Amino acid sequence: MQTLRYLAAAFLLMVFLASVGADFLSPAPYERQFRDHPNEPPSRRFPLGTDELGRDRLSRLLHGSRVSLLLAPAAALLAVFLAALVGLSAGFLGGWFERAAMACTDLFVSLPWLFLLLTVRALLPLNVAPWTSVSITFLLLGLLGWASSARVIRAGAAAVRGSDFALQARAAGCRTARLMMVHLLPNLRPAIAAQFWISIPVFIWSEANLGMLGLGVTEPLPSWGNLLLELANYRAVFAAPWLLAPAVLLVLVSSGFHFIFSKEDPCR
Amino acid sequence: MPVTRLPLLALSAYLAWGQWGGELRFCLRSDPKTFDPLAVADDSSETVRYLTGGVLVRVNRKTQQLEPELAESWKVAEGGRKIVFKLRERVLYSEGTPFSAEDVAFTVRRMMDPALHSPTGDSFRSGSGEVRAETLGPHRVSILFPSPIAGLERLFDQVAILSAVSPKAVLGPFVVAEHKAGSHLLLRRNPNYWKKDASGRRLPYLDSVRLDIQQNRDLEQIRFRRGEIHLIDSLDPETFDSLAAEAPASAIDAGPSLDTEMMWFNQVRNAPLPEYKKAWFRSKAFRRAVSESINRDDIARLVYRGHARPAVGPFSPSNRFWFHAGLRPHGFDPAGARRKLEQEGFRLDGAVLRDREGHPVEFSLVTNSGNKTRARIASLLQQDLAKVGIRLNIVPLDFPSLIERINRTFHYEACLLGLVNVDLDPNAQMNVWLSSAANHQWNPNQPSPATPWEAEIDRWMRAQASTLDPKKRKAAFDRVQEIVWEEAPFLYLANRNFLAAISPALRNTAPAAMRPQTFWNVERISFANQISGRR
Amino acid sequence: MEPLLSLRISAGYPGRPAVLQDVALDLEAGGTLGLVGQSGSGKSTLALAILRLLHLKGGRTEGRIQFAGRDLTECGEREMRRLRGREIGLVLQSASSSLNPALRIGTQLREAWRAHADSAWEKPFELLQSVGLHADDAFLRRLPGEISVGQAQRVLIAMAVLHRPSLLIADEPTSALDLITQAEVLRLLAALNRERNMATLFISHDLLSIASYCRRVAILHEGRIVECGETGRIFSQPAHPYTRRLVEALPRIPLAASSLNLATLAARLEEDLAQRAAADVVHPQAE
Repeated sequence: MQTLRYLAAAFLLMVFLASVGADFLSPAPYERQFRDHPNEPPSRRFPLGTDELGRDRLSRLLHGSRVSLLLAPAAALLAVFLAALVGLSAGFLGGWFERAAMACTDLFVSLPWLFLLLTVRALLPLNVAPWTSVSITFLLLGLLGWASSARVIRAGAAAVRGSDFALQARAAGCRTARLMMVHLLPNLRPAIAAQFWISIPVFIWSEANLGMLGLGVTEPLPSWGNLLLELANYRAVFAAPWLLAPAVLLVLVSSGFHFIFSKEDPCR
Repeated sequence: MPVTRLPLLALSAYLAWGQWGGELRFCLRSDPKTFDPLAVADDSSETVRYLTGGVLVRVNRKTQQLEPELAESWKVAEGGRKIVFKLRERVLYSEGTPFSAEDVAFTVRRMMDPALHSPTGDSFRSGSGEVRAETLGPHRVSILFPSPIAGLERLFDQVAILSAVSPKAVLGPFVVAEHKAGSHLLLRRNPNYWKKDASGRRLPYLDSVRLDIQQNRDLEQIRFRRGEIHLIDSLDPETFDSLAAEAPASAIDAGPSLDTEMMWFNQVRNAPLPEYKKAWFRSKAFRRAVSESINRDDIARLVYRGHARPAVGPFSPSNRFWFHAGLRPHGFDPAGARRKLEQEGFRLDGAVLRDREGHPVEFSLVTNSGNKTRARIASLLQQDLAKVGIRLNIVPLDFPSLIERINRTFHYEACLLGLVNVDLDPNAQMNVWLSSAANHQWNPNQPSPATPWEAEIDRWMRAQASTLDPKKRKAAFDRVQEIVWEEAPFLYLANRNFLAAISPALRNTAPAAMRPQTFWNVERISFANQISGRR
Repeated sequence: MEPLLSLRISAGYPGRPAVLQDVALDLEAGGTLGLVGQSGSGKSTLALAILRLLHLKGGRTEGRIQFAGRDLTECGEREMRRLRGREIGLVLQSASSSLNPALRIGTQLREAWRAHADSAWEKPFELLQSVGLHADDAFLRRLPGEISVGQAQRVLIAMAVLHRPSLLIADEPTSALDLITQAEVLRLLAALNRERNMATLFISHDLLSIASYCRRVAILHEGRIVECGETGRIFSQPAHPYTRRLVEALPRIPLAASSLNLATLAARLEEDLAQRAAADVVHPQAE
């Protein structure tokens, strides 16, 4: 099991480095259209073939990984931060604050976010660089994706609130804020870390789904989302299995995160 | 092996004989919203109307000529205000009542009833005043409109004649027999259909048509491959190619469709855009330069996999009469485009094109999200324009906010959309070309034409509408097409081909550019084995 | 002299019968008062009520709690917070769950120190030694899961007396411990009481522990104090039928000549325990 974790970590590190170094590793610029070579199978020149506009798939995969692997953790960090803020204070303070915060969370889970995302996208200025646009998309995912994590964290915080050691700490005269920071946070760290690791693949998938709706990453920037879009035509995939590369990578990275997550020691 | 197969073949021949006519099956995207032929506004209802409705005249989808159906002949009079139909005799409705001039008059009156709000009726509304439908005998009917309507007789292609006595009776080849909402629709042959084939046998050949409600196009394709359905309209090029590789006989490329992909610049005077950008968009040289930077052949070859051709104007070559055969698509000429831009005061600063005041040339292109074809076209445009130093930002928007921008707020710079032509006649495009019209997309609802060339388009459009002489109309609209080619308010990009899947088991299919492309001659479509069995 | 703690309260939880009904207690400075009652008789409720923490468990208190010259029921939360841990220490029943499992022992002590002290944190080795714990950095670096229950209870006591409170409320501090550890903790509490002149409210269901440690005893039965007085008197002449039942239920220890000679009993018990405990003052670390 331990070896597997190390393997997963090594793999993730490798993918991460490859995506950071995409500029150096890519055989061609990701947006370059080799229009005389559309839909080509893998070759020495195009290791993963080309897409319908003749763009090198490997280069696009590397740059797509950069977009997804840099921004998804950032969004996850934001979401988990918000979730911790809401979950901790709601679970720990209890009372009307908890009820209000949880009502808010439920509302957040049930609102039609797709429409909000559409609206926000429509409200953005027209001339937005692709990187800005994708960053905003992930920022929104982060700002909107905290609710379910907040529920989990709240449950944990509520358990701590009722615990003997919290009572003992209060009886020792500990301030509420200090109690939350020093006593509560370390206890919920495994839960929060779990939410973080779980959120990353969720956000990668969300971006992929938004990509299918034409939101998210705009041309010519690739992301795992718009690369996965090409798998929509399942017949093409049978004929050209190398199209599966982004999906395989996504699955591997997702499970990699899960392996690493399970490495977290619940006692710490 | 062949020996053991023989009895089977014999058996199937016997069965074919037994299954008189057979059942044609294909899919609808959704349930028809109405079965009232006058209230039709959606595709599914239109399909049902086409299969069940009898019309006075029909535009032959292949020749695009008007042909007599329930009217043996007709005559347009009073400068296009009046039409007199001489009706076919001894025609019976599906339930046996005879067809007469009374029914036509009844249909027209109902269609023009303001309370009904019939979309079909809307195309006949030419001016204020009453529409008068009068019978001139059992088989002659006259219809008088308050003011002339250009191409009046062709409009009757859409009017399915109702029965004055029986609300459900129809005159078309099929009758709705069963409708299970969300599941399917079953149409049976109309036993009293008036049309006969060359050998005198009563049409249609088919016994029934089954329309399955199927939203999912993937499932539709699977069912086609299994032989469960016989037709698929408008395949995307990718699917078409994979089908063509598997079953070449069933993949049909019917040539250019009537649809056009195009882009345009926002020329609205008070649009919330920087003035210098509005100045670019109003510059003919700029528009032409952009147009000439676009490699339309690449669009046809890469985006449509060759199943398309560069577009030249509002009509594709498949609109036989109205297409301007003298025009060629703007050629791909980046060098010429650069020259044009330089003459206009633009200059290349490294890889960035700048205007006279030094603004980098960058604009956004809005298009509807989720459309793979447009996303790819936009990518190609982006690369093509980058080569002349123009930066293009692609902004996919959901449809409602796109419409909001291009029709109301005018907060957009350029737009990429498709034009779906249903009607062959330019009269249907009055609301696009008149500068005062709402769908004059680049600058709608102008109180008076903003430019001399728009004024000229207005004049020619009015001229073609005010005469009944096809030659004069054609000449007028050709001028419109020439001005549009010259001024490039719309940059026409590609006419895609109509790609369909048609089961090889069907006979007499003749896919055409006009809707309903695959089954417009449904009464003559049959199954191969059944016809041979009947002989 | 006015007692350090003098209360008369009723307490309970909404929607349920009152847990404490008009309970009155006095405890003089430096004194020891044992509060005996069955499980569920409201003993812990009382402890939390004094610290004004009962609302955390959803409970409510009425009445007055005079402590060192002020009425705690009229104190604001700020003042109460300053009081808790500095003037009134609390030791809870379950040592293992009263320490935060995610924090090192040193951190928990430091937090208890920080709650009231302005001065810099110094590792309280002396205090740890005085409660019979290893006074070294290695011990402070341990997590609660890495020490024994007895050690945990000592840590809790150390934390409770860190600021030299004038009142220590010990809510069943020994019930989770084995007999030997129990005795050690009792001795520790007695020593702290003596050395620091720290009044102790000792809550327990265990009559013997109380007998060995408290000068005065109050018997809590069905939410009321049914009897209160000198330990010796209560044990020798129980007035209330419930007290009598309690006393009669005490195990007859063979070495005692008379089961009711409590003074002897307590002395013997302490002696016996001391002998046994001398062998291992500190438990081996792991359970």
